Amino acid sequence: MTLRLQSAWLFEAVSEIASVDSVFFPVIHRFSALNWLSRREFSLSVNAVIASQAMLLRAWLDGKNGSFSDKNRQKFNQQIKNPLDMSMNPFRAWKDRWFDSQQLDYLFYWREAAFEIEEESQREIFWSVVYQIMSYWLSNRACEISPDCHPDEIMGLMLSRHQSFISGRDAKIEITNQSLDELEAKKAGLVVFPLSLADDETPEVTLQIFFDAWQNGHDDLELSRRERRVQLRKFQINIERSNDYYLFTKLATNAQIAALVWSGIDLPPTFYEQQLIRPLQKAFEERYSNSRLLMKAVDRSSDAYDYLLLFY
Amino acid sequence: MITVFNAVLIILITWLTYMYFDLREKVTPAQDRYLQLIDGVASIIDCLEGYDKPHSQEIARLADQIGTASGLNAEQLQSLRAAAMLHDIGELLLPRNLLKSEKKIAGDDLELLRTHTLLGELHLRTQIAGLDEVPSLIRWHHERWDGLGYPDNLKGEEIPVAARIISMADSISAMNAKRAYRSRQFAKSEDIVAEVKRLSGLQFDPQLVKIWLEIGSPVETKQK
Ligand SMILES: [Fe+2]
Ligand SMILES: [Fe+2]
Repeated sequence: MTLRLQSAWLFEAVSEIASVDSVFFPVIHRFSALNWLSRREFSLSVNAVIASQAMLLRAWLDGKNGSFSDKNRQKFNQQIKNPLDMSMNPFRAWKDRWFDSQQLDYLFYWREAAFEIEEESQREIFWSVVYQIMSYWLSNRACEISPDCHPDEIMGLMLSRHQSFISGRDAKIEITNQSLDELEAKKAGLVVFPLSLADDETPEVTLQIFFDAWQNGHDDLELSRRERRVQLRKFQINIERSNDYYLFTKLATNAQIAALVWSGIDLPPTFYEQQLIRPLQKAFEERYSNSRLLMKAVDRSSDAYDYLLLFY
Repeated sequence: MITVFNAVLIILITWLTYMYFDLREKVTPAQDRYLQLIDGVASIIDCLEGYDKPHSQEIARLADQIGTASGLNAEQLQSLRAAAMLHDIGELLLPRNLLKSEKKIAGDDLELLRTHTLLGELHLRTQIAGLDEVPSLIRWHHERWDGLGYPDNLKGEEIPVAARIISMADSISAMNAKRAYRSRQFAKSEDIVAEVKRLSGLQFDPQLVKIWLEIGSPVETKQK
């Protein structure tokens, strides 16, 4: 699922063709990928693939939700004085394999605490900060590094990072969570399709699986994985089935420019040219008369390149 | 707002980089000489940034050590070294008073300063052909493992490993350096080790932190 959305590069290329002030993303792979755009004068329409990702977008990108209040910080970021009873912990199956018992105590406490937060937007910030903390714990654990930082300290730190991330942000951003079939084309000058080519489980996907299980209050990762797969099925496009291209052209109906971005790994550029670019050119032929392909080397040793394909 | 001084520097650096990559292919013995020339030019960037030590050389050596220990191949190490030396070249395209500022940079000035990643990449990519991934590595030298860096907010392994190494080497080198706007952050090496560990999984790739600790957590490396 590696995908590097290079927004400034995309806009260098787009601005040579037309001036655009609104952008539509029918899918987005990760909230922070939109940081650059949401800090500029664009109005954005973004559709999240799963509900928790839509929540992350609201919490981290929509400035009107602000940051977590001091009052709530004091109330909900408490230190746990004595270890909790592990037999009561709904996430105990993760013990020692994924999280240590102190981390599990906090995951238990934070989830309960979140339900006590009155305002929904404040609760969503709290949830979404836990997402970042889980990411931090899981990636350190994968390398057998045990962070010295106490959980309530890391919560404080993440809440501050969220505050600085969100400050000064007045993006006009509309966030939805619909399947591609339900989704209507938006009135935007540019439509961007970030393509995820492989479906193997990256650490980010694993994180989403953990987070969804945690938010739903259980430790069954397989269940969480299955549910995610069902959700994702609504976003899969089969390059070999020409009918599937209908979705691209449907969602691009109002756009002056359509952009497809992807990161190709382990395969030479000629592969993408034959397998992806030509069929796409054919699909867009009736809607746009020109196309332009740009690519950048990321790591030649592993044949990693970033691609940008524009139709206009 | 490019001053004549900056313009001359940019031309000089572009020319030297070109010569380096051109000669790299043809005359192997000359490679060392040109590496030294790049070192010299990079030291001008260090001066402009207000460092009290040869920062670029230091991060290139540090990056090289971490890269070698991480098992990068010869081609990757070559790009890593060149990008490490020139990582802040985009700062030459910014107003000089911004870099010499004695206050901590914030607000619009910070946004402007952050464009040095994009300017550096764009300048090298458009001026010199055949640099391959070097401009991309320069673009991403301020990305963070947790996805909260800039300019593209790449996260984790989306950031090419060489860029992750440069970013870490850059920060480690800056930890015990004096800058125009602040005094030395950490003087003792154990404090630097604690800080790097604290930032593991946030700013830094935990795998690289582990490798750095395994090779003896070097901060200031001696020239070979
Ligand atoms: Fe920099
Ligand atoms: Fe630097």
